[in-house]
Amino acid sequence: MKVNPELIDEIKKYGAFDISACFNCGNCTAVCPLSKEDASFPRKLIRAGHVGMEEMVSSAIEPWHCYYCGECSSTCPREAQPGEYMMALRRYLIAKYDITGLSKVFYKTGWLQTWLTAGLFAAVLWLYNSYTGDFGALAGKIEMAFPVYVTIALGGYVLNMYRYAIVKPLGGIKATFKPTPIIETFIHGFTQKNINGCEEPDLVRWISHLLVMSGYTLTLVISNLHLLEPLNRLYGAFSPVSLLVWYAGLAIIVGGGSMSLRRIFKSSESSKFSHPSDWLFVVMMFLIGASMLATQYVNVTQGPASPLLAALYRVNIAIETVWIILVVPFTKWIHIFFRPLAVYFQHVKKEAAAGTAFTLQLGGSK
Amino acid sequence: MDEKIKEEAAKDNYRQEPKVGVYVCHCGGNISDIIDVKAVAAALAKYPGVTVAREYAFMCSSNGQDLITEDIKNLGINRTVVAACSPSLHELTFRNVLQRAGVNPYLHEHINIREQASWVHKADHDGATAKAIKLAQAGVEKVKRKDPLNAIRVAAEPRVAVIGGGVAGMRAALSAAGKGLEAVIIEKAPRLGGKLLDLGKMYPSGEEGPAIAGKLEALVRAEKKITVHTGADIDFVGGFVGNFRVNFKNADGTSSQVKAGAIIMATGYQHYKPAQGEFGYGEDANVVTLPEFISLMKNSPAGRLEYSGKEIKSLALLHCVGSRQVEGVHKPQADGKINDYCSRVCCSSALYAANQVKDRYPGVRIYDVYRDIRTYGMQHETYYDKASKDGVLFLRHNETDQPVVTSDRTGHTVKVKDVLTWGEELEVKADLIVLVTGMMPADISLIKSQMKMPTGADRFLQEVHLKLRPVELANSGIFIAGTAQYPMDVPEAMAAAGTAAAKACILLAEPDIPLEPFVAVVDEHKCTGCGLCPAECSYDGALMMAVHNGKKVAVVNPALCKGCGACVAVCPVRAIDVAGWTLDQFDAMVEAIAKE
Repeated sequence: MKVNPELIDEIKKYGAFDISACFNCGNCTAVCPLSKEDASFPRKLIRAGHVGMEEMVSSAIEPWHCYYCGECSSTCPREAQPGEYMMALRRYLIAKYDITGLSKVFYKTGWLQTWLTAGLFAAVLWLYNSYTGDFGALAGKIEMAFPVYVTIALGGYVLNMYRYAIVKPLGGIKATFKPTPIIETFIHGFTQKNINGCEEPDLVRWISHLLVMSGYTLTLVISNLHLLEPLNRLYGAFSPVSLLVWYAGLAIIVGGGSMSLRRIFKSSESSKFSHPSDWLFVVMMFLIGASMLATQYVNVTQGPASPLLAALYRVNIAIETVWIILVVPFTKWIHIFFRPLAVYFQHVKKEAAAGTAFTLQLGGSK
Repeated sequence: MDEKIKEEAAKDNYRQEPKVGVYVCHCGGNISDIIDVKAVAAALAKYPGVTVAREYAFMCSSNGQDLITEDIKNLGINRTVVAACSPSLHELTFRNVLQRAGVNPYLHEHINIREQASWVHKADHDGATAKAIKLAQAGVEKVKRKDPLNAIRVAAEPRVAVIGGGVAGMRAALSAAGKGLEAVIIEKAPRLGGKLLDLGKMYPSGEEGPAIAGKLEALVRAEKKITVHTGADIDFVGGFVGNFRVNFKNADGTSSQVKAGAIIMATGYQHYKPAQGEFGYGEDANVVTLPEFISLMKNSPAGRLEYSGKEIKSLALLHCVGSRQVEGVHKPQADGKINDYCSRVCCSSALYAANQVKDRYPGVRIYDVYRDIRTYGMQHETYYDKASKDGVLFLRHNETDQPVVTSDRTGHTVKVKDVLTWGEELEVKADLIVLVTGMMPADISLIKSQMKMPTGADRFLQEVHLKLRPVELANSGIFIAGTAQYPMDVPEAMAAAGTAAAKACILLAEPDIPLEPFVAVVDEHKCTGCGLCPAECSYDGALMMAVHNGKKVAVVNPALCKGCGACVAVCPVRAIDVAGWTLDQFDAMVEAIAKE
């Protein structure tokens, strides 16, 4: 294999600035509670990065198994921050999977995405404010467009991830349709089940993550099904939709708030390094929860005709618009999907190795 | 020491009736916890020839010593046996007691009942006691047969010859001269400085090699007690402690001789020269050694690392070239042996060089191909640290899978079976291959053979004991400074040189050198002149056949004899004995021990 020293320089552009100090002792892999024989990390991936094994790095699904508990980084005798390297690899992989190439630009340029988001928010808000028609109806249409956009964006990612993780290294289309991997995939997708395998389970982080995840999923359901029409309807404080909104909003605010505080005070290993996109992600998440909660509160207390509500609702929809357009496809938001996919691909790889996977040999491939 | 006491001590006690005093030491419980010291003293008191036997808590204390002095004064004791610790610890202490009390110091026998009885027979008190009694009785038998001896004194040239004018030689000469001893530096090259002259920046201070050499040379030249001979080609070294001679040819063809009481070997090292074709060396112009690379770097313009006019954008460092060689993997050297030793300094040097490249030419890619990194020195780990943080890529092979260098039109490739990458064979492209070569001792075969200097398996000069006598050769009066001994960096060579100089100063502090009298003595009447013994002698010139009083006999040079006894063993007529360790004494000791 020809050594390619450019690869590690490339990965370093996504974070992991200290990784060159690694001398491959393997302490990180030894302490990692999630590293397994058939999916061993971080040492191997660090070495692969160092010597430039691009194929191995871009087909890796291990970064999606990692929960960044920080055990490896606090054990590292070289202070090479292997945990942060895994995060950098995620960003590198997202950039790789992203067909638009925007993720790459955003990750490498640091705060550009934030400035663009702020600018787009101002522009969209101005547009919404200048709209003279029935904004409630428009908002409905906008919200209906979200899933279409996200599905297209996500579809690209998923296909590309599949291409890098399975098709390229295994030389064809492989899959498994057995129930166990599929069930497991779902469980891992919605709960951070494995983090409890980490030696010192970080309960606060796990709960925060669960709150944000559930709150956010609910928000998706509420907006994508267009359950909420605050300008046209009056909601009771305890109506079913209101209850959903209260939970979703509060869960996001509490969970996101706790995560932000930890980032600010760098209270745990996993919060020591923050990429600008991490901040953008948390802050936007927090704003979505807050604006939705405020909108609903004003509707319940002042009724649908309140001018404050009209303004707030426009802010809420503007935030969501910007979020969907600029944040969702280009930050770690999409890891919601990558982690369960990684669990699934792991099964596929295992079965492919055992020769039991469903195989569709493409013409011309090896 | 008082002259009167000295005279008193030298008087012949032999004619007196032996009156032996036996002193059993408790060693503060070290002995008395196991051995019944009272029983030992009582048994010895009854032994023939023993006038008095005592036991005491610490014989070596001043109270203990006073006991002996008093007995010598009051009871006329003229021979002593002290049964105590190891003689290496306190034999000299008690010899001095005798000497102060006017008895010849060599009429003392030190019996070790601590290491050889109480410590090794902890579980058997009675057995240990019985053994102590036997040993002490044997000591009495021996001391009864002892002759008074006098230290051999050899007149010494008050001068040290320093062979080699590199960093160690200059430092040694300066240290000796600083203590008032005349020093003569004999250097083969036309100028002082040795290997330092070719080096660039050196760790840890970052000073240039030639600058350090220049500083030392200025000090040497300013020192009146130092004489310097450069361009000197040594053709003969001979003599013995106190009286060495070094003959050499000067650059102008004339001959000179230096007489010296001691010699410091500061003959240094030579760089390992890779064999033709070893990793492409000698066949491919872009394969160079680390010393060659260091001078290349010295001459490169700022901002562009150049080699024969071309820019070097990547380089591979190959460690352990000519060091830590493996039997069956590496070709042996001219003498049939491989260099299996570690050259110690090359890891630090290579990493220090890599860091300089990264500092001066940050764009240059560096690959470091190694088996083990041994940055052993104080703070040397920081060189590794910096190199790895600056992105030097380390590739590690094991001892049997050596890297392979190939060259073609596209450039140079190093193939490494990298154990860090789970044994994957990695290929590295590099514009320049730098072989990190180790040290081999300088060629001093002539001096070594003339003086029979001991060398280790690695061909470097070998000290008597690495910890206890680290700069002394077995040849009395010859000391080692610097890399003639083993691979060292400059600070280590400096330290060794200072130590060697101190040893030479101690040796030559007085006009004559006292030597232990335990040398072979030939009884000319018994000697038949058969000539068997000189062949057994390991010390050149110590024992030779000569005609004496018209008879061919063996003659001992006491300054060279080490008292090993090899000649005693071959003599068919018992004409040779080692003074203080005669065959009669041994016979009597064995009999005393074997007696029921």
